[in-house]
Order: sequence, then C-alpha cells, then structure tokens
Amino acid sequence: MKRSLFGRIWPGATAVVLFAGFVFPVYWMFATAFKPTGDIIADDPVWFPTNATLEHFQKAVDADHFWTLVLNSVTVTALSVVFSLVIALFAAFALTRMRFKGRRGLIVTFMLAQMAPWEVMIIAIYMIVRDNDMLDSLVPLTVFYTMMVLPLTILTLRGYVAAVPKELEESAMVDGCTRLQAFVKVIFPLLAPGLMATSLFGFITAWNEFPLVLILNKDAEKQTLPLWLSQFQTAFGDDWGATMAASSLFALPILILFIFLQRKAVSGLTDGAVKG
Amino acid sequence: MKRKLAAAIVIAGMMVSVSACGGDDGDDKNAGPDSFKGQTLTVWAMDGSTPDQWVKDVTAAFEKKTGAKLKFETQKWDGIQQKITTALSESNPPDVLEVGNTQTPAYAATGGLADLSDLKKEIGADWTPSVSQSSVYDGKQYAAPWYFTNRVVIYNKKIWAKAGIKDTPKTRDEFFKDLETIGKKTDAEPIYLPGQNWYFFDGLTIGQGADLVKKEGDKYVSNLGDPKVAKAMEIYKKYASYSKAPKDKDEATPQQAEVFAKGNTGAFIGMGWEAGTAVAANKAIEKDLGYFTIPGETPDKPEGVFLGGSNLAVAQGSEKQALAKEFLKIALSDQYEGQLAKLNGVIPNKKSLESNLKGNAVAEAAVPGSAVGGTTPLIPEWGAVENNPNPIKSYMTAVLNGKSPADAAKQVEDEINKRLAQQN
Amino acid sequence: MSVQTEGTDTAGEPAVRKARVPAPPRGDGRSPGAPSRRHAAAPYLLLLPALLATAVLLGWPLVKNGMLSFQNLNPRQLIQHLTEWNGVDNYQEVLSGDDFWRVVGRSVVFTAANVVLIMVLGTLVGLLLARLGKKMRLLLMVGLVLAWAMPVIAATTVYQWLFAQRFGVVNWVLDKLGWHSMADHNWLQTQFSTFAVVTLLIVWQSIPFVAINLYAATTTIPKELYEAASLDGAGAWKGFTSVTLPFLRPFLYATTFLEVIWVFKSFAQIFAMNQGGPDHLTETLPIYAYVEGVGNQHFGVGAAISFLTILVLLAITSYYLRMVLKQEEDEL
Repeated sequence: MKRSLFGRIWPGATAVVLFAGFVFPVYWMFATAFKPTGDIIADDPVWFPTNATLEHFQKAVDADHFWTLVLNSVTVTALSVVFSLVIALFAAFALTRMRFKGRRGLIVTFMLAQMAPWEVMIIAIYMIVRDNDMLDSLVPLTVFYTMMVLPLTILTLRGYVAAVPKELEESAMVDGCTRLQAFVKVIFPLLAPGLMATSLFGFITAWNEFPLVLILNKDAEKQTLPLWLSQFQTAFGDDWGATMAASSLFALPILILFIFLQRKAVSGLTDGAVKG
Repeated sequence: MKRKLAAAIVIAGMMVSVSACGGDDGDDKNAGPDSFKGQTLTVWAMDGSTPDQWVKDVTAAFEKKTGAKLKFETQKWDGIQQKITTALSESNPPDVLEVGNTQTPAYAATGGLADLSDLKKEIGADWTPSVSQSSVYDGKQYAAPWYFTNRVVIYNKKIWAKAGIKDTPKTRDEFFKDLETIGKKTDAEPIYLPGQNWYFFDGLTIGQGADLVKKEGDKYVSNLGDPKVAKAMEIYKKYASYSKAPKDKDEATPQQAEVFAKGNTGAFIGMGWEAGTAVAANKAIEKDLGYFTIPGETPDKPEGVFLGGSNLAVAQGSEKQALAKEFLKIALSDQYEGQLAKLNGVIPNKKSLESNLKGNAVAEAAVPGSAVGGTTPLIPEWGAVENNPNPIKSYMTAVLNGKSPADAAKQVEDEINKRLAQQN
Repeated sequence: MSVQTEGTDTAGEPAVRKARVPAPPRGDGRSPGAPSRRHAAAPYLLLLPALLATAVLLGWPLVKNGMLSFQNLNPRQLIQHLTEWNGVDNYQEVLSGDDFWRVVGRSVVFTAANVVLIMVLGTLVGLLLARLGKKMRLLLMVGLVLAWAMPVIAATTVYQWLFAQRFGVVNWVLDKLGWHSMADHNWLQTQFSTFAVVTLLIVWQSIPFVAINLYAATTTIPKELYEAASLDGAGAWKGFTSVTLPFLRPFLYATTFLEVIWVFKSFAQIFAMNQGGPDHLTETLPIYAYVEGVGNQHFGVGAAISFLTILVLLAITSYYLRMVLKQEEDEL
C-alpha cells in the first residue's frame, strides 16, 4: 500500500524537484534584476523582489548605442539563420534523396566542419578580414556566423528531409509535378516545423557570438549585444543588478523564441513525422 | 592596474565637488592654419579618464585652433591590449590613444607608436621625470605623460574614534599598533586586505628599493627571490594578518570598497575613486570617510607606492601626425592638464600643476606618496608577466598561506622567466 | 563563446532520423537514384553553396591558421605586417613543455566526466518525462526549456552570481544548512571546485537537449514492441533493455558524439568563469590556445596550439566518425 503510494508519487515529486533545479538560476537572474541594490547585497538573500525597481534595466538600456546594437544583433542573427537554412536545405536534400559519388565523404566533411573550434581561429580570421578591408562591417560577421551554424543545420535538416515519406514526393511527380514543384508544394510544407526547430540553433549561436565581433568590429556602432552585456561586469567590479538586468534582456528574446518554436518543433516532429 | 585606476575616476571626479571650471573662452589668439579643415582626429581614451567638462573644453579649444573636428571614443578595459594591438595594425588606426604607463614600453617596442621626441622638446621640459620615464624607450619619447594616481589609506573615522585613536599614524609601526587597537577594542575588522592586492605589494617593493627583475646576460629574469622582495612581502603579510579577507583574491572580487561600505571595516588601501564606490553602496558611510598617506618606515618618508597612470601616444600608422601633435599640445597645456587634475583628482604631469588638487582630501593624501612612487619594471617584456593568471599573485597567496617567501618565489620563478623570455 | 549552447540544437534530428529506421526502406532503391542521368549533376549543384561556403569561410581560416602556426607572430609582426617564418619552432615549443600534455589529459577527463553525466542524467530525465502525466510533463518541460534556452553568456554570468563568494545564494544556503565553513567560501579557489561549478553549469544546460530529444524519440517506439516483450514475460527493466535501449541506440550514439564536441569546445563557460584559473589549472585546450595566443599575444604559438587542438578532437571522435562512414556505406 505504502509502496504503491510512493510508486505513484515519486515521478511527480522528482519532476517538481527537477523543475525547481532547472528554473532557479533563470528565476534568480530575473529576481536579482528587479531588486534594489541594497537587497542584492543583503546578508540574507531576498527571495522575492518585493521592492521591485526598474533602475537596473534603466541603466542597462541607457548604455551607449543600445538600440543600434539591438538592431545589429537582430540583423546579423536573422540573416545568418536564413542564409544557413537555405544553403543547408539544398545540401540536406541532395544528401538524403540522391545517390551520387562522394556522398559519404561529404557527410563526414560536414561532421568535421561541425567540430571547428572557432574561438581559437579568430586571429586568422581577423587577419583575413583586415587584409580585405572588411573591418567594422556586419558583412563578415553575417557570413562567418552563417558558416558556424551551417554544418549542424545540414546534419539536422537531413533528418527532417528523410522523415518526409518518399511516396509523397513520388506521387506528386506522378501527378505531373516536376521534382522542384514536388519539393515546393509537398515537401516544403512538411519541413516547416523542422526548419523552425533547426533555426533555433542558429539563433542561439549567432546571438551569443562574442570573440569574433570583439576583434573585428571596433566601431561601437557596428558591435552586437554580447559586448554590451559584458560591460557591466568588468571595470567597476561586478554590478550584479545591472548585469542581471542586462542578462535578462539578452536572454528574453531567445527564451520566448524557444518556448514558441520548441513546442512547434516537438509536436511537429512527433505528430507530423509519424503521421506522414 | 589600469582598469581599476581609471574606471571610476568619474566617481572621484564627482566627489571633488566640481565648481564649473570655466574659461573655455580662449586665450588662443593665434587661430591656427586652415589646412586641417575637414579632417577629424580620433582619440581613444579609457573609460573614466576624461570628464565631460574637460572633453567639451578641449574639443572647443582644439576645433577653434585647428579648424578640424575632434572625436573622443571611450574604450573599455576588458581586452584592451588585444584591441590596441590589432588597431595599431590596421590601415585606419585611432590617431591618438591613451596607453597605460606600464604598457607603453611594450607598445613602443612594436613600432606601432610614433616618436614624440620633438614634442617633448617643445612642451615637455618640466614633465616630472618619474612619470615621464615610462614613455621613454630606446632613448626616444614614445608617448607623453598624462595623469597619475596612487593608493592611499581610506579609513572609517567612526571606528577609529571608537577604538580611541586620535591621530592618523605617521609610521608603519604606528599604523600596525592602531590596527591592533581596533582589533582589540572594537568588533570591526581592522583592515580589509585581500591576498592579491598586487599593486600595493608592488608599492612595498618600491619602498624597499627592491627590483622585481634583474638582468642576466642580455636577458631579464625574475628577481623575486631577492631578500628585499621578501622583506616587502613580510610587511604585506603583517598587514594581511589584521584582515579576514580571502588570501587568493584581489581587491576587485569582491570590491573592497563595497565591503568597507558596510561600516564594519577599519580601513583599506585603495585608490581615491574607491571612496566613491563605497558611498554608492552605502550613502551613510560618506561622513565617516577619512584618508591618509600610507605611512613608511620613518615619518619623513611615506611608503612606496605604485604610480599608476596613463600616457598619450600617437599611432605610427596615423596619417594625421601634425594634427595629433596639435591635439597633444592643447590637451597637455597647463590649462587643460590642470583642469583634468582638478576634475578627476589625479596627479598631473608637472609639479607646478599640483596646486589644482587643493581641497581634495584624497588627492592631498596621495601627493606625498607619489613623490616616492615608482612603477613595475619598465621593459617591454614585463607586460606578459602580469597577464592573468599573474604569477606574482600566486606568490603572494602562497606566502600568506604559510610558505616561506624564498620557497614561494622558487615556485613561480620559472613561469615568470618563461614569460620574460617570450619574443616580441 | 557561443559554443556550448549549440547544445540547444533542435528537438528534431536524432528522433526523426530514428523514426525512419524501424520502417524499413520504402523506396527499395529505385527512387534515390531518381529519374535519369541527365540529372547526374543535380546533387552537386545543390551542394555547391554549402561546399563553397565551407571552403571559403572555414577552409581559408584553417589554411591561414596553419600558415600562422609556422610563423613568429607577435604584436610587432602583426602591427608592422611582417611575415617571419620560423619553421616548426612553435610546435616544438608547445610539444616540448609538459603543459600541453597536461592540458590534453585535463581536457579529455573534463569532457568524459561531463558527457557521462549529461548522457546518464539526460536519459533518466527523458525516461521520467515519458512516465509523467500530462500536467507534470508540461511543468518539467518548461523548466528544461528555460535552462536550455539561456544564452550561454547570460547563463555563465548567472552562475557566477549564484556562486559569488559574498552575497552568493549558494553559500548562504550551505551556511544555513549548517555547513558554516561555506559562508564565505570561494568556489573559484581550487581547480576541483572551479571545475565543479563549470560542470554543473554545462550539465544543467545540456541535460534538456538530451532529455527532450530522448523523450521525443521514445514516443515513436511502436507500442507493439512492448506488448510483444511483455508477452514474453519481460519486466519493466527487461522491457527497457530489450526494447527501449536498442531502439534508442543510434540516437544515443549521435547525441553522445555531439555532446563530446560541444563539451570539448566549451569556451565561454570556463573562460568567463575564472579565465582558466586558478593558476592555469582549469585551462582546457581551447582556453589554453586562447590564453597563449590572444591573451599573451603570441599569435603564432596560439595558432599551433589550435591546430593541435583540432587534431586531438579528431582523435577523440574518430571512433564515431568511422562508424558513420561504415554505416552510411551500409545504407547505400
């Protein structure tokens, strides 16, 4: 009796504990951001920001060029995600649906490309960009971010393309569609959730990238948000209130995007893929 | 060092009760040639170095005299070395840049800085030798000394009064005795001194006349095993024995001023601007703040201090050399150099301008120390030694944890020598 | 800095890829070859943009990096645009010291410890998700997704704050729980505890990827397989080992491979936490390359280390890559 009660309760109880563990750091970030400085450095932690204040957010947003940096980050991130999705979709289609010489080698090539340690190559990249007079521009950032996410995007999309039953494509072609038409009309709609899910990875990578933009773009108006985020934590010692406010603002778009796309992705995958 | 020094000089500036320093309406009668018209001079100054009023006045004077535009770009401390190095390699570098005094020899050695020996002849005859010396490399002047600061003792008057201490100490032994008294008579921590306040330690070695490096053949090697260095470290250890601060942290983690601001610490050794940090954390501390010069062995000679500061350099790759020099002449003129000293509470590049610090309690406590101040070894190779993780900080922690200075020195000397031997 | 959050990839890939395995090849080989020879160039055309991008944007920096690794490149050379070849000096310098090999060993141990924790705990959480009721599952999902989605820079910053020596909430809790020596504990004081905090951060951020994908994959396991197993009298554990595990194997392999790469390449988490300190003791290969190259401004040496880093990573992953090569061969 007791045992079965325990048996019924433990999964839920574990879930609650795990939930708390996973959420707490995120919660603490937001909570700290809203607390007045006195509460942040109180001897006993203030668990809820009861005297909520927006001063830290104010400080974070008031930083020089904030809105320019937002625009830059959004531009670079969105463009590199779109570019990598388009390029990857072509490649993934070829790799899953066609038979040709060198296919295996290419798959392994992309796996290897996925391993590239970008942080340690930044001097090489810097010298290339410098010698081609492309410093202080969003273009090199966009193309290199595209490349950073491309391999995994290809490998991931391969799975989604493969999950679309070939019969669908074939029957469309029997109906007189060209292969391209079949792709656009039949396969692409089925791939949409997969594309969205895959794009998350690109968003995160490009949104977070730090060392490259630091070295390539010295012009304050050509930088991106990670540089802004780092500025509250250095010279004056740690201004935890402003740092957490900035972190919150920085994380928010990704959190929202994730919650939105993640549901689509999982349901799209479990229903869509299996149903098809 | 620079990051701390500079950063919140802004705050120090605020504390100096600025009376709007007017006088921007020029006494430059000779309006300069129009040949600079249409050009823009870019100046990189570090975060906190340039008060708004100063920027405004200098810009006005510069634009009036040359007809060119002036653009200040504020730089952050994080990753500044990499940024300056790469910037100097680019086709369009900043024309004038602020360089930390201890880093100047290294940049001079790269060939990235222009030779300013002519300028020194023209306007630098009365630059204080001890601060000008960091810009000299291979007999040439590669930068102009700009401003300097050094550490003082910042103390809590209330706690000292509670311990029954009437006067500030004039010698090191008196200071130790006072700390002892505070420890006995109050429940406050007598002094907050973390184990890795390396620039304070550097000051102690300067006070002992110790050298951190020595020449061996044509190479520099560590001199950390020198008994004079050990003596300095013993003094540091004695200070640290009055503190409960972590032995493996520097003064920025946590910000020592914020610890002090809680009102339960007798004193700490810091830069003037850190008083502002303390006040920002706890307004109530403001009325209890006091400052005095770090006392030395004898009353007539204060403790050695590390003279942190900045020079102004011109990029070799800049196409506006003449214009850049015009800027330096204006920025370093008695009027604006004096204004900067006054606004930021920093020590100017000439003795004659020190009168600008009158009435600024922090700066007045700092000036006596600056007379016996010094720097880290002025060799290009030194910069690498201070790179994180700084082996000298490891040395300090090791000694504080009970190792003998000689053993601790042995433990890190290989690393220091390795760094000193790196090619440039 | 972005690397680890790459772990926040997608729910899709492995699960879907898996999904097609049980339903055996439908096209029986006719369709992949597709219409005829006149389309023989098609796959190459489709792949052209990806290959071009890889060659230019990855190949070029790699080659450049390789060239730099044979040069004496310090601030002076960089600023004056000098090229000073110095043969294999950089490699000699790196390989002759014992620093490098110590860092290699540390990187391997660090990667192994993290990946094992991530895979084991991630799998357990994933199986728990499958067992939970709808409401509880949603709750846990939300928690996982929030942790997963935290941008790595923000997450690292938050962890520094949680574990801050003064005013950090972790120390406060430990103190209140009776462990008073932890009141002002400095987590970044020793190698082990710095790694412990970094590991907690990485594992916390990586479990969601494994768990959610694993859960998604389990939902595609046909019920009949379990029914068949239970007819054979298999218990829960047997069901797990005879049905769930074999079904998930390819997924687990692929995920482990990705986690190995991501953990090995972790940069922001370690560097931002303590710059590889105390005393260089938490430098893994990417950090070591960065500190020696960019930090100490010995760009040539840094380039040599990064090249060696790539070799080490290749060696570590070679087992899986060989497997993929073989497996893809079978599929064709």
